[in-house]
Amino acid sequence: MFTNLYQLNLKWIIRDRVLQALVGVALLLLVLVPAFSVLSMRQVQELSITLSLSFISFVLALLAILLGASSVWRDIEKRYTSAVLTLPYSRGSYLLGKFFAIAVCLVCSAAIFTLVAAVAISFSSGLYQSSLPIRWLHIFTAVAFDVLKYVLLVAIAILFSSISTSFFLPIFGTISLLLAGNASQEVFEYLTKDSVGVKTAKPLLYAAKGIYYLIPNLGAFNFKVSAIYPVALSSQGVIYTLLYFLVYTTIILYLAVYFFSRREFP
Amino acid sequence: MKALEITGLSKIYKTKKAGVVNALSDLNLVISSGEVFGFLGPNGAGKSTTIKAIMGLIKPSKGDALIAGVPASDPHSRLNIGYLPENPSFYDFLTGREYLYFIGTSFHMADNLLKSRTNEVLDKMELSLAADRPIRGYSKGMVQRLGLAQALLHDPEIYILDEPMSGLDPLGRALVKNLIKELKAHGKTIFFSTHITADVEAVCDRVGIIVNGELRAVDKVESILEKGITGYNIHVRTGGDISLFSGFDFTERDSGILEFYTSRALFKQFMEIVVHANCEVDLVEPVRKNIESFFLELVEKR
Ligand SMILES: Nc1ncnc2c1ncn2[C@@H]1O[C@H](COP(=O)(O)OP(=O)(O)O)[C@@H](O)[C@H]1O
Ligand SMILES: [Mg+2]
Repeated sequence: MFTNLYQLNLKWIIRDRVLQALVGVALLLLVLVPAFSVLSMRQVQELSITLSLSFISFVLALLAILLGASSVWRDIEKRYTSAVLTLPYSRGSYLLGKFFAIAVCLVCSAAIFTLVAAVAISFSSGLYQSSLPIRWLHIFTAVAFDVLKYVLLVAIAILFSSISTSFFLPIFGTISLLLAGNASQEVFEYLTKDSVGVKTAKPLLYAAKGIYYLIPNLGAFNFKVSAIYPVALSSQGVIYTLLYFLVYTTIILYLAVYFFSRREFP
Repeated sequence: MKALEITGLSKIYKTKKAGVVNALSDLNLVISSGEVFGFLGPNGAGKSTTIKAIMGLIKPSKGDALIAGVPASDPHSRLNIGYLPENPSFYDFLTGREYLYFIGTSFHMADNLLKSRTNEVLDKMELSLAADRPIRGYSKGMVQRLGLAQALLHDPEIYILDEPMSGLDPLGRALVKNLIKELKAHGKTIFFSTHITADVEAVCDRVGIIVNGELRAVDKVESILEKGITGYNIHVRTGGDISLFSGFDFTERDSGILEFYTSRALFKQFMEIVVHANCEVDLVEPVRKNIESFFLELVEKR
């Protein structure tokens, strides 16, 4: 049953012009990585990895926000809801079908990007021998957690869509949480540092803590450093982040289904 | 068997712009299996509101609806329904055939059956030529016919059609009327809304008339037509003596035929004279108010 909705949404994504253009841009950027990298003279390999990971991350972010925020909104806007929500599906399957289709699309795009990036990085590193080895496993881990981060973002976009009638809350709400989520760890650490913590007013500190636990800690998904520099990958960090992803995404999706099931489509 | 049971259904919309709108008040209606029911009302009467509540798109403020005994809030209640939304709109990145495939699998149809039924309904709705083109390029009437095709696809027992004739040309309207008659012949239940009285007269067993969110009348179409008879036109061939008919209006036709009009009350008396005078009757034709005037009277009555 649910696979129908999932396949339907995959078709939508694959036939979407915007998506095709975005993937095209991403591939073009990745192909140009060696050209950008030689500009750095010495750290060609390091720069090629940094650039590849950034390009991939940037395009995945765009995909997550655009697809996540537009999928439900578009169905309402074009009045597809009256046809599809009156089929014998629950509202929950409708939302989850969208979520999984977009998630799978992110995973597949990331896989293709990584493949192209791998070629670009190998080529770049051949241009100027680096003293460091390329640690592919670390690079793949960095991309994988980036994908998870954006899958979580898709869930957030769908939560916003499930309560909103317009395009604004899903788009700007998701972008705001992306920015806040990336910075939250640093802000929190700064505020709770002993020297600052004493000076900060107590209520403000509690508020900051509350917000810190509420908004997604997207900084935790950043494993780029160990992909570029000889820094060890913390297996504990990997496992905790994975668990965090599962719990946080489940809660968000649960809330989305809860609100969407109570919604009316007059 | 009750196909549809609506009890105390009410809907109040609360909006910022229009304030509180009493779209539907205390609707009670039972549609039995095999019946063609016309839900007739002017624009804004509450027809779509009722249908959306039945289909689970909106939550009633009060009351509930059962579909073949299953509450409308349960998605399973929709397994046996073919639904045509008002001014439908379907995923336009799919072709007509792909859309029907999606619908068929949503209703658990087996692949073989689905393929043959798809061709059948496309053919019936005269969409075979457009079947493999994206819905994006369909005209309004084509989308409406695709809407009917997707409602028919899984051969449900109950059809809920919101203004099925709207957006169609005269050929399309005739197509829909024939379709409804055909479904009725197969024992299906059809509940459809319309604001056109002639549609009701053409195909319905029963009609419910809704105005301003209130059900004003529910009756058999036949009995409304029967009650609406005001008099008769009678063509009589007389032997020449017309004095017996004094008091009745007539116009004389050539070839010795007199055309009388009698009110309903005087009909019996008139026929007795006919028998007495030993005349030949060529034609008896009831003169009646149609559903339209019945409808207009109800709408105007406050
Ligand atoms: N979403 C809504 N918000 C506020 N009022 C609505 C809404 N939808 C319908 N209405 C009002 O409810 C009444 C009934 O509408 P509707 O059921 O669509 O009528 P019909 O289908 O008989 O033309 C109308 O007065 C309409 O303006
Ligand atoms: Mg309507």
